[in-house]
This record gives sequence, structure tokens and C-alpha cells, in this order.
Amino acid sequence: MTARLVAGKVLGALGTLAFVVVFNFFLFRVVESNPVATLYRGRNLTDAQREELTRQFGLDGSKLEQFWRYMEQTLQLNFGRSYATNQPVIDEIWAATPQTLALVGTSTVLAMAIGLAMGVVAGWRRGTAHDRVLTGISIVTWSTPEFWLGMLLLTVFAVDLGLFPTGGISDPSGPDGGLGELLDQAHHMALPCLTLTIAYLGEYALIMRSSIIDVAREDYLTLARAKGLRDAQVRDRHALRNALLPSTTLIALSFGFVLSGAITVETVFSWPGLGLLTYESLRGPDLPMLQGLFLLFSAAVIVFNLAAELLYPYLDPRVRAR
Amino acid sequence: MRSLTLLTALALATLASLVAVVGATAQEGKVVLTVGLTQDLDTPNVTAGELVSSYELFTLQYASPTDLAAEDFSTVPGLAESWEVSDDGLTVTYTLREGLRWSDDTPLTAEDIAYTINRARDEEWLNYTSTVANLSAEARDERTLVVTTKVPDPRLPGLPLYVVPKHIWEKVPADEVSNYPALDGVGSGPFTLAEWKKGQFWRMVANPNFWRGRVAIDEVVFRVFRNADAMVAALRSGEIDAAHNVPAAAFPDLENEEGIVAVQGEQGGFDYLVLNSYDGRPPRDTSKFDAPHPALTDLRFRQAIAHAIDKETLVERVLNGIGTPGTTMSPSANPAWIPELSEEETYDFDLDRARQILDEAGYVDSDGNGLREYEGEDIVLRYALRSESETSKPYAEFITGWLEQIGIGTRFSTYDDGQLLEVAGKGDFDLYVWGWTPFVDPDPMLSYFTCDQIAVDASDFTNYYNDAGFCDPTYDELYEQQNRELDPERRREIVHDMLRRFYASASYIVLATSPDLQAYRTDRFTGWVRQPAETGPVLFSNSSPSYWNLTPIEGADDGGDGLATGGIVAIVVAVVLAAALAGWIVLRRRTAEERE
Repeated sequence: MTARLVAGKVLGALGTLAFVVVFNFFLFRVVESNPVATLYRGRNLTDAQREELTRQFGLDGSKLEQFWRYMEQTLQLNFGRSYATNQPVIDEIWAATPQTLALVGTSTVLAMAIGLAMGVVAGWRRGTAHDRVLTGISIVTWSTPEFWLGMLLLTVFAVDLGLFPTGGISDPSGPDGGLGELLDQAHHMALPCLTLTIAYLGEYALIMRSSIIDVAREDYLTLARAKGLRDAQVRDRHALRNALLPSTTLIALSFGFVLSGAITVETVFSWPGLGLLTYESLRGPDLPMLQGLFLLFSAAVIVFNLAAELLYPYLDPRVRAR
Repeated sequence: MRSLTLLTALALATLASLVAVVGATAQEGKVVLTVGLTQDLDTPNVTAGELVSSYELFTLQYASPTDLAAEDFSTVPGLAESWEVSDDGLTVTYTLREGLRWSDDTPLTAEDIAYTINRARDEEWLNYTSTVANLSAEARDERTLVVTTKVPDPRLPGLPLYVVPKHIWEKVPADEVSNYPALDGVGSGPFTLAEWKKGQFWRMVANPNFWRGRVAIDEVVFRVFRNADAMVAALRSGEIDAAHNVPAAAFPDLENEEGIVAVQGEQGGFDYLVLNSYDGRPPRDTSKFDAPHPALTDLRFRQAIAHAIDKETLVERVLNGIGTPGTTMSPSANPAWIPELSEEETYDFDLDRARQILDEAGYVDSDGNGLREYEGEDIVLRYALRSESETSKPYAEFITGWLEQIGIGTRFSTYDDGQLLEVAGKGDFDLYVWGWTPFVDPDPMLSYFTCDQIAVDASDFTNYYNDAGFCDPTYDELYEQQNRELDPERRREIVHDMLRRFYASASYIVLATSPDLQAYRTDRFTGWVRQPAETGPVLFSNSSPSYWNLTPIEGADDGGDGLATGGIVAIVVAVVLAAALAGWIVLRRRTAEERE
């Protein structure tokens, strides 16, 4: 790939991002909302207090002035203050990010590993009992609503069996610091992580299965078998490598959605990450927070898309040649 | 492929073993009360916190010069042990208890209270203005506080005030007051803030210097659940000791569960049906506002509607039996402010009576299409629905059904709460259902229905609360009177008069009370207090006396040790999982070999 092509793709991504920044401002102003009135209903505020609150919320001045202020601040990575907590949006988002990375990141990796393995087995033995069972599982788990699955697991494992806590990220009176705290957090993460893993793996399995089926008819596999390779070797060295290509895009895109991926599950398990923050902000609505979150989510998707595009030629020389 | 399988096996094994490894660590013999709730703090800053959860924190952390009695909210000693009121009622001299100290051992003196009052007034601290706007205070000596009011104030000598520690807050400049993070944890109430993990929990520890003496509980942990059903589950399993904001659907089950007490805590909150009855009287530029359906400005028309609302059915069918049918508007958390209505005064549910009133007033259906007419046009009222309320739609279905039976049509539009505030101010509606939760003193609630609370500023519709457009000069006069009346009995009579007039106008039809739904376990603590007595909630009850009254039950377990048995089950599960996995791999390998 030439430097020019790379530069073009990067510029394209930047352009998309710039569009998102501008679009964000208008998107969240379609709904006319007066947070001062909503938050302080029934409180007889003095005029000075109302003006001060309106100024704090950044709602003074005309729409155009607000827009310039928004652009200026956003370029300095300042997303304003949350309506709900009056704290800088960026601080709240950073505080919630590690939890989401841990939960959704782990689930995504687990779901990938399990799902891709399932897909390989099902595709390689197309039409057998193995295939029917694995494909059945994939379709069922893929179409199960995450929050429902979460509630189900919560009821069974947390309430009936008492194996896991009902939510949160740590035990308030649990161990502080060190391995104990880490294990406590892992214990809290197990159920939401299991939920997401089950919810995600079907997609990987189904895509992997169809990729394997596609390559299974290729001549080079016949050649490999003719060379006298064992079935597992043919599958792992020859079929799998080629079949992985379509999954690469999916994997890259999945990582783009890691940040925004778990709104309902985080809510079910009171997991204080970005998904829960989104859910809470939508109820306000806490516009500066939503603006910040949407920008972050869009940026993540754009960046990983770009990564996939740049990576693909290295994985598949045919693309490079074209 | 093999490496992929191995990775999977490893991941599964890790996940499973986590269950086995983790056990609850010992609680070091600490007595911890855990309260579940569905709302995090917005801020621990007492000048700016808005949410109910934050107010509970303030109530625990900051003691008040005078307290609210648990039974009826009457004024009882707090930081002040006694007081004297001057003959004109404008000056109160409080004597503080001896040896008061903040939780950090700094002496708590009259100067702290005077500082709080004067600074909050000068800087218009959000949460203080309604209390301190007309007050000025002076510390005569360490234990003597003189408070003077500019106007007669029936709330005095009651001084419910979150007193802030001067030695902490004097370091916070005026322009930073509302953003101050307030994690200092210095207070004078039963508990002070020790730790706040945003979105998860906050932990408060017993204040050794609380004026009632150190309480019997070492720590209170407030755990935030974003999933109310999970909170109910945690209460059942003993993970938490009490829960606030129990979902209505789960409430009946908790009521029947042994070892759990479910509480419908009445605090004056209510749902109402508002009839926009603004008749164009006060000085409003009507060209910039919308007007209600003209029939609604006719008292007889509104009375007919009032007779067409069956509150019993609404409580039974919409609220699942939670709450009680409403009477007059409720201005206070204390039910004593609500007057008894005589039978003649009451608009009972009677559709025939409603029809008869409409017939007599000349609203008849002359074209036989089922709708009565006003000046030749079918009467169709604009009914606003609230997208943010679960009960809005079911309420509307019943109400519009009854209206249809008496020949009045309706048309729906849906708004979120922010939009509805605008719509209400602008008068662009005929009917909607919303709710209020009053304060302890009736004054604010009563003030919302004076004539000057009808929106007049067309550039800001939301600065007004009189959504009914109700305007009655006599009501306004009585409002001024109760605001100056220092004799509690006389003031109560005036307020009762106001509420009767308001009820008679049929502009505001109170459908039902909206209680706080709470529940607590009976196995670990005893001494839960309802405020007000018998009808109120046990937590989040204005002065929340439960926290300092609770004592642990001797010999009760610490809770959270279900993990011992849980651990064993977990190990079994882990072993089974690992075995299944191993079996699968072996099976897979064997079939693979068969194929070769």
C-alpha cells in the first residue's frame, strides 16, 4: 500500500470524525430541553440563581454562540460539565472506561475464542450432528436479548444458588488493595462477563462457519490432502488461515464497539462503566455527557475501522496487489 | 486449532475457578448496615446536591439546630437544647448543648451556625435560600445563637438547617461553592462520609461526637443498584438489609415474605389530574400563550369531570393497590395539614351526576355522535401524556374512558418531562397527570397556586408552577395570612380553608397518594422508625431517625457468609465444567481420528 493511500484513508477517517463532532451538537439539540427547569421543578429559585444555573449549564447566549463555544471546547478535549453531577464530562468518562474495557474486552476475547472454535468445527463437519448442535446454539444465543439472559443468569446464579453477587464491581466491605481486591472484582465480573460472552459468541461462530464452508471446496485443500496431511493439519494450516480473513473485519469492528457495547448488561448488573453512564445520561437527558460519550464511541469505531482497512492488505496479499 | 481450543479451555477454567477462589473476607466484627437504593449521589456537596439520595447523606452528616420529631415533624431540640422567642416573634435566641464537637474534634459553636446562615443567605446557596433568605444570625457566645427574621416566619423557632463546619467551608471561595467536591467527611450528624465510589456505593462511618452519643452501628453502606429487581433479590438473599425505591411490581411479594417488612411510606407525595382552567384574568399577554378549551373555564364543566373520576379504581387497577385515593392537594409530608372534607364538599364518583351537571349547564350532544358540543363544536380535550412515567398511559386510559361515557372526547400528545414543563407554562394543554412531593412546611406547595405563579413571561414559560391556571384572590389573601400567622392552630385552619377552596375549584383533581416503597429485613437490626408515625417511611424520611435508633440483634450473623456453601457448590460446578470440557475435547479428537 502506498503512503498516499494510507494518508487518504487517515484523512477520510479524520473527516468522518469532524462530521461526527458537528453533527453531535445538532443531534442533541433536536430535543428542546431546559435542564434548569426539569431539575429544579418546584424550587422557588431567585432570578439570579436561575441565570447562574443557566450559565453553568452553558445554555446562555444564542444557538450560534453555543455552537462556537462547543467547538472551541471540544477541540481542547473539554466536553463541558455534566448536568447531573456538575463534574467535568471527561473525568466521568475516564473514570468509567476501565470497567467497561475490562468487562467487554474480556467478554469479546472469550466470545471470539469460543465462537471461532465453534464455527471451525461446525463448518468443517458441515451437516453432521456436531454442526447442527453448534449452529443451533449459535443461533439461539445470538438471538437471545442480552438483558434477558443477564436477568436469567442473575436469578439462577446470584439469587437461587448464591454463587455470585447481584451486582456492582466490588464488595464495599471487602478486601482493599492487592490480590484480594482483584479477585473480589473478578468475582463481581463473572456473571456479566458470562452473559456477554454467551451473547457475542454466536455471531463469530456463524461467520466462521460460513467462511470455512466457503474455503472447504477450494482446490488447494484437495492438494493438501493429496500430500497426505492429516485432516486436522489440513484444517488448521490451510483452511483456517484463509477462512480467518472475513473474520478480521468483524474482529476489528468488534473492538470498535467494545466501549459502547454493553448498555443493557451493565445496567442489569449495576456495572459502573460507560454503558451504564450512557443509560443514566439518557434518562436526564444529560446532554453534555451524551455528547461526550457519542463522540468517544464514534471515534472508537472510526479508529478500528481504519485499523482494519490498513491491516487487511498485510493479511491478504491479494488486496495489496490490486 | 489446537491452540484455539486450549485458549478456550484455559479461559473457561479461569472463569470457573474464580467462583471457587473468592470468599468473603471477615468483616473484623464491624456492625455494618447496608441500604440498597436505585440512585447514586449527584454530589456530597450540601449546598448543591439535588437528589433524594444526596439529601439522605446530608441528613446523616449534618445535625440541625432543631430537629423534626419522628412522630409528627414537630420542632424538637437538636444541636440547640432550648430557645426563647421574643414577643414580636422576630427574634429567637438558641442555647446550644454543652461540649458540641465536629467529627474531627474541632469544637462546634454558635459561630458555625451563624456562619452557615449568613453566608448561605449572602451567596444564595441553592439548598438554603428557602430557609435563610430572611434570616440573619449572630453568635453571642460559644453556646448562644441569636437569629432575627425580617418578616414574621411561622416556621420559627424551628430551624431545620444543615450546619456546615466553618473551619472547612471558609477555605472554599464563593465562586467555587457549588463545585466543591465535599469529600472532607467532617460533620456533626450520626454518620459522616468516608468513601464514595461513584456509581457503586458510598460508605459512612459513625461519628464519635454525635450529640446523641455514638450510635450502635459502625458503618452504613449505601449500595447503588441500577437494576431494581436485582436490588430486591439482594434484599431477599441478605446481601443488603434495607431497600429504598422498591419497584411496585415486586412490592406485593415482599409484603408476603417472612423476615421482610415492606413499607408504603406516605410523605405527602401525590398524583394529580390537572384541568387547565386559566380564564384570561391575570396580566398575561394572551397572544403569546395558548388557551384551554373554553368549556374548562366553566366551574360546572370541571365539576362534572371531577365527578367522573373513580379514584378507588385508579388505585386498584393502575397502582396495583399501592397508595390511597386522594382528596385535597397535600401540601406537606405531615398529613395533619390536610382537612377533612364533608360529604357535600366531596366530588364523589357518580357518572349520572356528572351527566346531569353537563346537561343543566347546556353542554348537550345535539347531533347524537356521543360527544357533547360547545358552541356547535364537539368537545375534544387535549390530553398530554408523559413519556417518562409508567403510570401516565394506564391513568389516561381509565380517565378518558370515563370522560367518553359522559360525552367528552380527548386527543393525546406525548411529551418528556422537560417538554411538558414548557407546554404547561405555555398553557398548550387541557389535561394531564403528574405528581408532586411536598416539603415538610406547607408554604412552598401552597405558593404554587397563587395568581402570580401563572406564567406571564413569554420568554420563559418554565419559571412558574401554577399549571392549573388557578387564580382566586381570596386564596392569595389567605396565603399571605398563613405566611405571617405565628399561632400554629390558626395557621392550620387558614391552610385548611385554602385547600378546601382549591379543591372546590375542581382545577386540580388529586388521584392518589404516591408512597415511597421500602422494605427491610428483620433478622439483623431492630428499631426501625416510621416518620411520621404509622404512615411514613423508615428511611429517606426528612430527618431519618432510624439510623441512630437502630441496634444490631444479638447473635445475628453478619450476612454475606452464604459464600461458604456457595464456594462448595462453585467448586462442584467448576469440576463438572472442566470434566465436560475434557470429555468434549477427547470426543472431538477421537472422531477426528476416525475420519482420517
